[in-house]
Amino acid sequence: MRKSFVAVSLLLAGIRWLCAQTSCKQLVPTCKEAYMENFSWDGRYWRAELYGGETTEIYYTFFPGLRYRLIPCGSSSTKATPHLRIYNANRTLLLDTRQQGERRYWDLELSSTQLLVIELYYPSGEGCAALLIGHRASMEASTR
Amino acid sequence: MVSVVRVVKKPLLSGWALLSIALWWVEGCAPSSEEAQDRHKMDTVYAVPWEQVEAYMKAAPSPVQVALWLRQEKVPFMRKALHDPTLAGKYAGLQGAANLGIYLTDMAYAHATENYQDAYEYLSSVNRLAARYGVDDILSVDRIRLLDKLQDQPDSAQKLLSQYYGELQERLEEMGQQAMLRHMILGGWIESLHIALVLVEHDSSKQQVAQLISLQKSLLPLIKKLYAVDSASYAASRQILTYLGELETAFQDVKVEAAPAATAVDNKGVIQMRFRETQSLSPKQVSAIKAPLQKLRQFVIQS
Repeated sequence: MRKSFVAVSLLLAGIRWLCAQTSCKQLVPTCKEAYMENFSWDGRYWRAELYGGETTEIYYTFFPGLRYRLIPCGSSSTKATPHLRIYNANRTLLLDTRQQGERRYWDLELSSTQLLVIELYYPSGEGCAALLIGHRASMEASTR
Repeated sequence: MVSVVRVVKKPLLSGWALLSIALWWVEGCAPSSEEAQDRHKMDTVYAVPWEQVEAYMKAAPSPVQVALWLRQEKVPFMRKALHDPTLAGKYAGLQGAANLGIYLTDMAYAHATENYQDAYEYLSSVNRLAARYGVDDILSVDRIRLLDKLQDQPDSAQKLLSQYYGELQERLEEMGQQAMLRHMILGGWIESLHIALVLVEHDSSKQQVAQLISLQKSLLPLIKKLYAVDSASYAASRQILTYLGELETAFQDVKVEAAPAATAVDNKGVIQMRFRETQSLSPKQVSAIKAPLQKLRQFVIQS
């Protein structure tokens, strides 16, 4: 009886883990399809399981003359959407998207080439989160 | 011009396709022990926990990302500065992975500057190396043909290249080929910096290219971490780490001004970030950075 209980528990835990992995893996194609629109994806993504207030850091070089689309995707156990804290290379906080309200994506333009550090976090709850970055010529550049 | 390139390329494409099929057949029938080692054993020795290095691995701009931006900057094509595509067959193991990154960067740069014949040569080198690691289907003949058809649509071609690069990374991650992926990224980073230095040497007015070089000062500690993790067990990583240290010293005089002048968000969620003008790189600084980078590049490409 005890053996059966252990086996069933292990099986259920395994199924739950597998489901979590699958839904985490599914985040990237789903968000890409929904929000990338006419932006080009550079072929990379960042994905992490965030628990207990954890954050994940992304280093990304942004170029001027391009408009970037930042798509934080996922949903925490409390149904919160992921947010971004953007720092410069010297770790000065430039922007926290939480202060700007709830959006499915953020577009970004810079005046010069910069290496930015993006922190992906859930304001509450835990779960899988991912970030996709797309780019296209900025309006300014395309009218040059 | 495009039609001339196409005429030249058709027989090349057919020849290359036949060669690929022949190589695939030979490899499929009798993989060498060296290749078997490439595919199955490499990472069991040098792998480190994924979470330790994943953040650092994706810090360097991808070859496609750099190429897209170089296209935007309308830089010239400097073929002489690039790696020799005919050496692709001489590389194996982790060195082969680093050279795969180098060839990918050269290919993306040639493509971005609309030198399709050259891009095609590098694509052949990429495919040849990719075959060693069982990822050549990502850059298969059919896919190359598709890319070939998009010569007049650089944006669409760029999208496809991005997709292929993303798939390559994902596949290597899934296969647990972490050390290989790390070396591929290192190779791409070395070649991107090398090309940027050559371009600035050629035309010092390219301020944004100079800024890209300066920013590598902030990336270097992260790239070093990629190699510090296994330098105790792998002599090549130790050597790479030494060269990266020399490069870090060369960057000491470079000022990275990343102070924001203003950040604004409009009601459509568009973030505008303005930064203060940065000090340009002097020719002396360019030479100082180039010297250790050449040593590192030479170490990676020596056959």
